[in-house]
Amino acid sequence: MKPARVVFTAGFAARYTNGVREFEVTAKTMRDVIKAMDDMFPGLGFHLEEETTLAINGEYHETGLFQPVPPGAEVFFIPRIEGG
Amino acid sequence: MNDVSNVSDSVKRFKWVGTRPIRPDGVPKVTGRAQYGADLKLPGMIYGKVLRSPHAHAKILSIDTSAAEKLPGVKAVMTAADLPQQKFDYIGPERVAVNFWHVTRNIMAREKVLYEGHAVAAVAATSNSIAEEACALIKVEYEVLPHVIDVDEAMAEDAPLLFEDMITRGVEPAPTKPSNISKVLTFAMGDVAKGFAESDVVVEHEFKTAAVHQAYIEPHACVAKFEADGQCEIWSSSQGHFQMRALTAQIMGVPLGDLRVTPAEIGGGFGGKTVTYLEPVAATLSKKAGLPVRVMMSREEVFRASGPTSGASMWVKIGVKNDGTIMAADGIYKFQAGAFPGSPVMNGCLCAYAPYDIPNQRAIGYDVVSNRPKAAAYRAPGSPIAAFAVESVLDMCAKKIGMDPLALRHKNACRIGTPTLSGPKHAHAGYIETVEALMKHPAYQVKLGPNQGRGVASGYWFNGGGESSATLQINADGTVLIATGSPDIGGSRASMAIMTAETLGVDYSQVRAIVADTASVGYTHVTGGSRVTFATGTAVVNATKTAIKILCERAALIWGVDPEGVVWEDGHAKPAGSNVGDFKPLSLKELAAKAAATGGPITTSAGVNAGGQAPGFATQFCDVEVDPETGHVKILRFVAAQDVGRAIHPSYVEGQIHGGIVQGIGWALSEEYIYNSKGLLDNPGFLDYRCPVASDLPMLDAVLVEVPNPTHPYGAKGVGEVCICPPMAAIANAIEAATGKRLYDLPMSPPKVLEALSA
Repeated sequence: MKPARVVFTAGFAARYTNGVREFEVTAKTMRDVIKAMDDMFPGLGFHLEEETTLAINGEYHETGLFQPVPPGAEVFFIPRIEGG
Repeated sequence: MNDVSNVSDSVKRFKWVGTRPIRPDGVPKVTGRAQYGADLKLPGMIYGKVLRSPHAHAKILSIDTSAAEKLPGVKAVMTAADLPQQKFDYIGPERVAVNFWHVTRNIMAREKVLYEGHAVAAVAATSNSIAEEACALIKVEYEVLPHVIDVDEAMAEDAPLLFEDMITRGVEPAPTKPSNISKVLTFAMGDVAKGFAESDVVVEHEFKTAAVHQAYIEPHACVAKFEADGQCEIWSSSQGHFQMRALTAQIMGVPLGDLRVTPAEIGGGFGGKTVTYLEPVAATLSKKAGLPVRVMMSREEVFRASGPTSGASMWVKIGVKNDGTIMAADGIYKFQAGAFPGSPVMNGCLCAYAPYDIPNQRAIGYDVVSNRPKAAAYRAPGSPIAAFAVESVLDMCAKKIGMDPLALRHKNACRIGTPTLSGPKHAHAGYIETVEALMKHPAYQVKLGPNQGRGVASGYWFNGGGESSATLQINADGTVLIATGSPDIGGSRASMAIMTAETLGVDYSQVRAIVADTASVGYTHVTGGSRVTFATGTAVVNATKTAIKILCERAALIWGVDPEGVVWEDGHAKPAGSNVGDFKPLSLKELAAKAAATGGPITTSAGVNAGGQAPGFATQFCDVEVDPETGHVKILRFVAAQDVGRAIHPSYVEGQIHGGIVQGIGWALSEEYIYNSKGLLDNPGFLDYRCPVASDLPMLDAVLVEVPNPTHPYGAKGVGEVCICPPMAAIANAIEAATGKRLYDLPMSPPKVLEALSA
C-alpha cells in the first residue's frame, strides 16, 4: 500500500517534531496516522487531536480517528483557530 | 454512526430540493408569537442586571456589595468570586480553541477591567428598577490606568499593557519583554522576493479597517432556573445551545448533565452569538437566589460589551506580469483581538489569497489586544478584512497593466489542485465559475455616467463541517418530525424539512422540522461557519435513510418476504422485482399505521462528524455614484455571484447573499466604533452607529452558481459567510473608478471621501 504523506506547518513542526515537516506513514485510517506519529514522538497524538484541523487530499475534517486515508494521500495538519 | 451504506437515494431526480416552499417558522414570527430570548417569563422570575466598568482600563482595588445586598427586593449579588478559577490553557471543540482563563474574565472582571462596559458584578432583584438601583449601590474602587484602543498604538513599545505577563507566542526566540502582541503567525510558500523580481508591476499599500458590530436586532438575553438539586435549565438566544451549555458548565464548574439548555428563537447572530456573556451570570444569580432569573442586555450594553469583529491595520504587496499573471503576494495583517487574545487573524492570513493560483505567497499575522470588547466571530471572521486590502491592490494592479479586473481574476483563478497558503491543495472547484458568471452578466456591460464607477472583488471562506445530530420520528398518521440541534438563523428548518421530504419521497407539508433542546437531541455544534446545511443536513439525510431501511423491513414483515426484496421509491415500499411477489406498494402512512404491529414506534437518530465541506467562493461587482459636493456614495447596482453547491431552498440562499452584501456595504461606508480620548465609546446605539437601511440600497442581484459538493448528499455548500468578503473592496474599487481617488481606510464615510476628493 502506498504510504500517506503527513505534513505539518512549520510552527507545529518546530514545536513537536524537531522541525521535520513531512513524514511517510502506512495508514488505512486517521487512527493509524496518529498512532504512527505518536510512536515516533510520544505525546504527539494528544497535540494532534487537541490542536489541529485536518485536510486529507485537500478535504477539511475535524481531526479524528475514524476518517479513512486513501493510499498515497496527503494528510495535512493545520492549527486550530483561537477563539478567545 | 448508523450503517446506512445499503440504502440508496430514494429519488433519481429532485422533487423538493431547489424549490421555495413557505417557511415553517413564518407564522409565529409575523404574528409576534415567536418566543425570543427576552420573551420567556417563569413563575417567580426575578430580574438580573450587570454592573459594568465606566473605565477603559483600570485595576479593581475592591468591590463592596454590602449596600446592594441590603436593598429590599434584592435576592442575589455576584462577582467573579462566585465563579471558579480557570486554568490558563487553549482547549476546545472543533476548529476553535478557547482559553477559559480569558473567558471567565470576560464574563466578569477579576484583577482589572479591560474595556468600558466590562462586567464587574451583577444583581438579581424583584424588578429591573430595583436591580438597577442595587447596581448603583455597589462600590467599586478603581485605579485608572492608561488605555490603548488602536491596533498600531497597542503594538508600540511604550503602549500600556493589558497583561503584564503576556509574552508573544510564535516568535523564536521568545521575547524577553511582555507586550500587547499575543501571537505572531507566519505562513509562506514559494519565494516572494523572487516573485516580485520577476514581476513587471508591483503595487503595495497600507490599509485600515474599523471594528464593526454584527448588529443583530435582538440583544443578548436568557433565563436561568437553578434548582436546589443542582439541576439547571437555561433558555437563551444563541447560535448554539450546546455551546452555551458547554461554556456555562465550564465557567460554573458544573457537569454538562446538570444543565439543560433550550434555544429561544434568535433575532440575528452573524457569529456574535457563538460566545456566552449572560448565561453563567443568570445561572449563578439563580443559584444564589433560588429563583428563576432573566438577564438581558440593552442595545448600549450590546455595543459596549459584546464582541464586534476586529479592526485591522494591514500592508499588502502584489506583483504581476504585464499579461496579468500574479507572481507574488505578501502581506502583514495586524488584527485587534479586543481585550483578550483571539482575533480571527489566522483566518485572514489563510483566506487572503485563497481564490488565486499564486506561486509565491506570504502572510504574517499579529493578534493584538487593546482596551475594546473582546472580538467575536462575524461572518467569515477575518476573511473580509484581508480581502479589503488584497482585492484593492489587485484592482490597482489591473489598472496599471490595463486589464479588466474580472479578466485578471479569471486568469489567476484557483482550480482543483491549486496549492494554498494553508498547506493543503484546493479540493473543490467553484471560484472561476463565479467570475465567468459576472463576465456574462448583462449589467457588467452597462455604461456608466459621470461620477459613477464600477468595482469588482472576490472572496473566499473555508466553510465548516463537524459534529451534528438529528432525530426522526414517524407519527401514526404518516407525518414526520425531524429534530436537530441547530438553531435556525437562516432558514434551516425549511432546508432540513426539504432534505427529509426529498430523501423520504413524501410531501414537504408532511414534515415538521424543529430545533430541539440539549436533552432531546444529540450534540450539535453551533449554527456558524456556514456548516448547518452541510453537516446537520448530512445527519438529517442519514437519519432519514435509516428510517427508510426500517420501513422496508416493516413492509417485508407484512408481506412475509426478505427485507432485501423491498425497495423504497416515491414514499412507498415496493417489491424489488416480480420474483418477490405481487404486492400493492405500501405508503408511509400505511406503514406508520402498522407501526405497533410491526415492532413499535419508528424513530431514528444520526450523529455525524461531517468532513469534506467545500469552501465558499464569491465574486461581486457594484456600481456607485459619488456626490462630489457631499462625499456621499450611493450604491446603484450590486451583483453577487456565489458558488452555492446546490441551493436546497434558493430563497434562503439569496437571502444570505443579500444580507452579506448589506452588512458589507455598512462595513464599507458607514459603520465604525468611535472612541473618545478616555477610551469610552461615543456611539453605542443605532442612531450613531449607522447600519444601512432599505433606502440606502438598490435591488440586490444574487447569482446562484451551482457546482455541487460531492461530499454532501444533495451537493450543498455553506452559503452564509463568503458573501460578506468582497463588498468593501468592490465599493472601494468602484469609488476609485468613479473619482480617480482611492480610499484605504474603512469606513469610506462622506468626510473621508470629501477629503480624498480635495487632496
